[in-house]
Amino acid sequence: MKNSIIFLFLIALLALLPACQSAPASGGKISFMVFGEPAELAAYQRLVDTFQQEHPEIQVEVIQVPGQSDYRKRMAADIAAGSPADVVLVNYRRQAAFASAGALTPLDDYLAKSTTLKEADFYPQSFAAFKWDGKQVCIPQNISSLVIYYNKALFDQAGVAYPAPGWTWADFLSAAQALTKDLNGDGTNEQFGAGIDPELIRIAPFVWQAGSDLVDDDANPTTLMLDTSEALDAGKFFMELQTAHHVVPNAEQEAAEASESRFLNGRTAMYFNSRRVVPTIREAAKFDWDVAALPQEKTAATILHADGYCLPSASKNKDAAWVFIEFANSAEGQTILAQTGRTVPSLISIAESPVFLDPSNKPAHSQVFLDVIPTMRVLPLHPAWADIEDTATQEITRGFYGETDPYDAMLRAVQRTRDYFTGK
Amino acid sequence: MISARRAQIFALLAPYLMGAFLLVALPAGISLYVSFTRYDGVSTPVWVGLQNFQLLRIEPLFWVALINSLIYISQAVLLRTLAALGLALLYNQPRRATGLYRAIAYLPTVIPDTAYALVWLWILNPLYGPLNLALRAFNLPAPAWLTDTRWAIPAIVLMSLFQVGEGLVILLAGLRHIPRDLKDSARVDGANALQTFSAITLPLLSPWLILLTVRDVVLSFQNTFTPAYIMTRGGPYYATYFAPLLIYETAFDRLRFGQGAAIMLIVFAVTIFLVLALYFFFESWGFDDD
Repeated sequence: MKNSIIFLFLIALLALLPACQSAPASGGKISFMVFGEPAELAAYQRLVDTFQQEHPEIQVEVIQVPGQSDYRKRMAADIAAGSPADVVLVNYRRQAAFASAGALTPLDDYLAKSTTLKEADFYPQSFAAFKWDGKQVCIPQNISSLVIYYNKALFDQAGVAYPAPGWTWADFLSAAQALTKDLNGDGTNEQFGAGIDPELIRIAPFVWQAGSDLVDDDANPTTLMLDTSEALDAGKFFMELQTAHHVVPNAEQEAAEASESRFLNGRTAMYFNSRRVVPTIREAAKFDWDVAALPQEKTAATILHADGYCLPSASKNKDAAWVFIEFANSAEGQTILAQTGRTVPSLISIAESPVFLDPSNKPAHSQVFLDVIPTMRVLPLHPAWADIEDTATQEITRGFYGETDPYDAMLRAVQRTRDYFTGK
Repeated sequence: MISARRAQIFALLAPYLMGAFLLVALPAGISLYVSFTRYDGVSTPVWVGLQNFQLLRIEPLFWVALINSLIYISQAVLLRTLAALGLALLYNQPRRATGLYRAIAYLPTVIPDTAYALVWLWILNPLYGPLNLALRAFNLPAPAWLTDTRWAIPAIVLMSLFQVGEGLVILLAGLRHIPRDLKDSARVDGANALQTFSAITLPLLSPWLILLTVRDVVLSFQNTFTPAYIMTRGGPYYATYFAPLLIYETAFDRLRFGQGAAIMLIVFAVTIFLVLALYFFFESWGFDDD
């Protein structure tokens, strides 16, 4: 008897469930999943708080995931489970994997109707990086790129000139050599001229600067081009920074203390990263620092880093989610994120405004991020790009730490990624 | 009457059975199905028969991960069992503060895996970690552990050796199970400690050791995930790329759920094979679990 009552109660509960899920148009509840360091998370929270004030009819629940790679996996699991957040942030290097599976809602119709968002207001490089199959699948929040963060105090101490626009690989190497030091006289270096992750996305600008392409065809890539003679030169230069010149930490030193932490502690002079480390450096660095463009060789080049706000196909409240995406990419929304230092705004008007450029907020020369846009290159969009990147990175890491010679590393990266391009 | 009692038993078991069905049997069944499909987590799974398994045959990373897992298991299971046995023999003797020693030996076992991995990441730090500082202080070679392809698996084995608390408890119980008079009579017959150990303690402890070994094989296939994911991300150069990490990355990062499920099925089959092999191996020694 008791059992049947419980049973009936459960049935009643089940019947109630769909009622909880339905929502009126452009109102109700949405969830927004973000990643980042505490300073970045605070920025997103401010974005959401401001949105709530203007749109009290929509409640936004913020889901925080600490790291970008965990974020991606959480999102994949959520999508497979049919219950992703209503607004997600996706890097353009990963959008093809989700878009090709049909996991993201094309936003073209929303964009056409929008009075706030116009494609022409955005930097085209960043906007185009979120197209898949001719459809706009995400709206970019930023147009970041690889730059050099440098410790001005270390440059001053060593009497080395700050990186100047148009500087070359040779200039960079000699600066790095002058800034690499054995501080306690024990025969090993504690201070390094440079810190750079041995990854495909870090070596790519060097490959472009040397005059090679990264893939054979940007629109329909079938192979990496790391085996051209120019790319091999770039690989050799990049890897010899560690193996021959020792201006970057070796594998043990990097494992003992990562370059980012070494930079924050004032023992790496030039640290390669995108804009995303700015909130952390602002908070942790106790020295004067600034940003500089990458050195160049045959040509100048850097690499686009961008995340976009996307609307999963499985979202149950797409209209409200779009209202939030629209707000986040409006001048007001992009201003809030830019103030935290996290983004190089993808809206041209905000990027060129004091919100982003104000020299009293470090880095003083944020203009560098805008100056490099004309020479910015974009990685190809491919559903298997995560595989390609990880596999190539394994080989590049091996070459970088001297377990194989640079040419072998570059050639193996080409060979081992070939099947992923063709989608075996 | 009997059927009422049956119903009662079933009712009492129902929460557990429902949990086991929903959380174990059902997902296992779905995984089995998914392993024969191509499935990206969004679109409907497409039946591809044995294609996932055929592709794995030529997938180098699959073999790397499987072999790494087997190397880890062969080292970890042997050493962990020996460590648990050694500690159990040591702590079985009544002496002062035995309880304290046992608690100390058991303590690392209760630390959550992620915290344990982070602590060991610090211990194994090649330059500033306490382990290498100590090794250098004694003028011993200090390997780069997790950054050296040759030392990465041994480092993770070493770290697993401090989590043998459960094995220790099982073996202590086993030792208590051995009748005192057997040892006494052996001593009366003039057997020394070593003879007593090899002729009495070890054979009588063998069912417990079999239990422990089999359990550890199953466990070791799985528990490489946390150290690999947190400490090494499978590196350096795939040196700690174990099967669970491969499954996870294939399914959840590369959205190839079918292939991930296929690898899982193979790992499951290999585990069963190993367990059976161990069982017949021990049985051929004439030990059984009576």
